[in-house]
Amino acid sequence: MKILVTSFFVLCIFWPYVALSEYKYTEDSFPKNGVPKGKIIKKEFAKSKIYPGTVRDYWIYVPHQYNPEKPTCFMVFQDGNWYQAAKGHTRAPVVFDNLIHQKEIPVIIGIFVNPGVIPSEKEGGKPRKNRSLEYDTLNDQYSRFLLEDLLPEVEKDYNLTKDPEGRSVCGISSGGICAWTVAWERPDQFRKVISYIGSFTNIRGGHAYPAMIRKTEKKPIRVFLQEGENDLDNLHGNWPLANRQMAAALKFTGYDYKFVMGDGAHNGKHGGTIFPDMLRWIWRDYKKAK
Amino acid sequence: MMAIPAEAQDTPLSMVLSPDSKWEKIAGGMNFCDACCTDSEGNFYFADAGNKGPIKKVSHDGEVQDFGPSLDGVSGLQFGKDSSLYICQGKARRISVLKNGKRLETVVENVRPNDLVVTNNNQLYFTETSTQRVYHVNLNDEVKVLSIVDTGILKPNGIGLTPCDGTLFVSDHLDKEVWFFRIEKNHKLSMKAPYASLRIRGKNLPSRGDGCDADSLSRYYVTSDLGIQMFDPTGRLGGVISSPDPMKPVVSIAFAGKDFQYLYVANGGTIYRRLMKVSGVGR
Repeated sequence: MKILVTSFFVLCIFWPYVALSEYKYTEDSFPKNGVPKGKIIKKEFAKSKIYPGTVRDYWIYVPHQYNPEKPTCFMVFQDGNWYQAAKGHTRAPVVFDNLIHQKEIPVIIGIFVNPGVIPSEKEGGKPRKNRSLEYDTLNDQYSRFLLEDLLPEVEKDYNLTKDPEGRSVCGISSGGICAWTVAWERPDQFRKVISYIGSFTNIRGGHAYPAMIRKTEKKPIRVFLQEGENDLDNLHGNWPLANRQMAAALKFTGYDYKFVMGDGAHNGKHGGTIFPDMLRWIWRDYKKAK
Repeated sequence: MMAIPAEAQDTPLSMVLSPDSKWEKIAGGMNFCDACCTDSEGNFYFADAGNKGPIKKVSHDGEVQDFGPSLDGVSGLQFGKDSSLYICQGKARRISVLKNGKRLETVVENVRPNDLVVTNNNQLYFTETSTQRVYHVNLNDEVKVLSIVDTGILKPNGIGLTPCDGTLFVSDHLDKEVWFFRIEKNHKLSMKAPYASLRIRGKNLPSRGDGCDADSLSRYYVTSDLGIQMFDPTGRLGGVISSPDPMKPVVSIAFAGKDFQYLYVANGGTIYRRLMKVSGVGR
């Protein structure tokens, strides 16, 4: 009996954990011998006209196979540091190295950009964090930041494609809804979206998207949504329900979408481990010659 | 969202409102209460902007006393250095200062101030709704110089500061946006952005954004048509606190009382207060 009772308590304590999947990286997310490595260059951007006064870091991943003569596909990652960091949730540069080398995806430049902050002029003053304003707002401002501020800066050094099918946006949480908003506002410029645990909730009105998608002529956007059953349920909304609503609206309107519901929480673990497959799916028919 | 260090992220109303605390009536029977503020000890002050009379002082135990001389149309109050109480007197077209609760002096005149703030280093900013302006006055200067530091907010009304004094914000009585600015070293305002958006009753209806305050964790509180709207430090709406009397306008707020743990509101002709789970900054 004692053992039974003890087992019961142990089960109660660990129940939430034993129920969860253990998301493991595949070999695609580890460096491989014989695979040439791209370069990662860290930069700072402090010249925004769209978000005046903001400063932010960004990183450019330049694949080994990059040819400056050829217009090259690219992906913009919001909260970029988390995506490019060697021990981050996604390890995107390693995945790019592997999949580009294996010719499973085209040659892609990675642009990993952090949200802006407006430093305080007062000594010891707190900076104004611009992340929510940039990522959660439903308008074209962030897409204009990319198109008018950041990309022209990147294009000084790199030959980026003008083909909207070769331009992708990716992000996690508020960065996920942001990636969707960029393509939604400017499908003439960006047509591939990856969202991890996207905040399609009412932080700044993002819960409206499923209804808008259903009543707007389909836009030429391909989107991969990843979500987890144990994601947030808070004042802004319920993330698993919100992502289900998104998926249902995308299905209803006939979008080219993929929705993967795991059992993770509000983090990048699940998304990070399936990132190689997300890339394979989103770039599946892109002409390798491009 | 996402792995941001704990400050005051994802703050639902339950993090600031205690379920057992109710609005408590502190003073009533006035025409139009406005100009809520606190002194450094948590005594609360307000004015009956609809009547000529002295400013009122409310002690921790809720006792109401007259404070200073009789004044007309007071719409904004805040203490600066040395217990100097700065006063918006729109009708009298001036900002005055009451020193030690007795001596009244004019700071600037020929303006129609609505609401004001004073930073810890003695810089005064105020809104002038009718001209769509925000003004600055350096109180350290012998000769007070008025400078316009922003124009164009449709009806600039309430004005507030972050606890660190680095950011100033202004509510718009007409539009839903609350505008945030960086205070530069030379005291000018820059990097204007619609950082927080008020919920409104319906399309094209005025927000009635008015009195502003911040708590010690940089959450922002703005009175409005729909009640008192609370925003987290990144400008995301945390929730709308119902006015004590929703049929009357709620126009001004201040954290005051013991440890600045009470939210005082001016709601029509009545002042109410409510014990909060959070505390104010003490100015």
